Amino acid sequence: MSIFDKYAPLQMRVDMMMKIGQDALGLKFDDIINATRGRIGSREILLAGTNNYLGLTFDEDCMAAAQKAVTDHGTGTTGSRVANGSYAEHIELEAALAEHLGMPSCIVFTTGYQTNLSAISGLAGDKDVIFMDADAHACIIDGTRLTGASTIRFRHNSHEDLDKRLRRQGEIEGGHALVVIEGLYSMFGDVAPIDEFVEVTHNHGGYLFIDEAHSYGVFGETGCGLAEQQGVLDKVDFISGTFSKSLASVGGFCASRHPEFELLRKVMRPYMFTASATPANICAARAAVEKVKTGGHLRDNLKARGAQLHKGLTAMNYEL
Amino acid sequence: MLNPTLDEAYAKICELLKPYNPKSRPIEMNSGIMSDLEVDSTAVFDIIMGLEDHYDISIPMEMVSDIKTVGELSAAIVQLTSEG
Repeated sequence: MSIFDKYAPLQMRVDMMMKIGQDALGLKFDDIINATRGRIGSREILLAGTNNYLGLTFDEDCMAAAQKAVTDHGTGTTGSRVANGSYAEHIELEAALAEHLGMPSCIVFTTGYQTNLSAISGLAGDKDVIFMDADAHACIIDGTRLTGASTIRFRHNSHEDLDKRLRRQGEIEGGHALVVIEGLYSMFGDVAPIDEFVEVTHNHGGYLFIDEAHSYGVFGETGCGLAEQQGVLDKVDFISGTFSKSLASVGGFCASRHPEFELLRKVMRPYMFTASATPANICAARAAVEKVKTGGHLRDNLKARGAQLHKGLTAMNYEL
Repeated sequence: MLNPTLDEAYAKICELLKPYNPKSRPIEMNSGIMSDLEVDSTAVFDIIMGLEDHYDISIPMEMVSDIKTVGELSAAIVQLTSEG
């Protein structure tokens, strides 16, 4: 008997996949040439599977900001912000994102996954109840598992179903409802009617948390995301996002219209016990935020490329 | 709210499992929902939501993660409906 025996069925599936071709979950690049092209062996390929929505990974200003950060403050932070302190870059990026989103509080994290893990586990206590979209990302699900809160799923993108389940739950003795949705869902590419979720959540006295990982930078006049596009940015209680998509770096953020959110720095265990983001990652993201704010042309280009791809695939008789 | 017996809850679960059991495997109280009937996790949550709506109850995710068999799910429904 081995500790790995429980993975025997998985190993069988991996073996079957390898008989067909390459490891689809273990792609290895030999070179990344630019934001849209890479190389595997001698073959140059299009990077169709990235989240590099605005193409900023090779933006000159973002690269220069990262390079200067390494020169000025080194390659790593070697510890968490709670134990080892924050760099000026962390504070400046939080201020920039808070100002962009029009919220009094913003906390940056080392990865996008860690962002939702931290924020959700910090916000929900034992007596609270989390209402989560049925198609929520793994980091949201895992965040709920770190809490003592009860978690109830509602049907994907259905504010009517959420309303029904909040009503069914009734008064939450000693606690509150935390409703967690995403802006744009990556698996199917559909978007949430955030305005409807704001109304339903607040009608029941709950708090609305939106993960705009895929929508920050892409939607809204200044790129704040879907809540901005739908005119309800000031009504959302918590907005999280990642640096590893439109912001072309690695890390994440959560902002809130509630100033008390700052206190969570002292309770979110994934935040307290993870090394803080490197100066290079933070400064690249800081430069990218400025690109997002004035990036109407980048968003227009993205939409045009999306329409071009859709048209081309339709012409090839794909059902979309 | 309905207050089903264990057998009635079991019968309802069998009804909801039917579309996810194309090979018509026998559904017993001790059948593992995922291990024996090979129902995937997405389908499990569809069935859970169907049961929640039918009985007007909430079955929290932390409870679902502890439920492995049809019998355990039946017992959970009886428990939750009796609490209401």
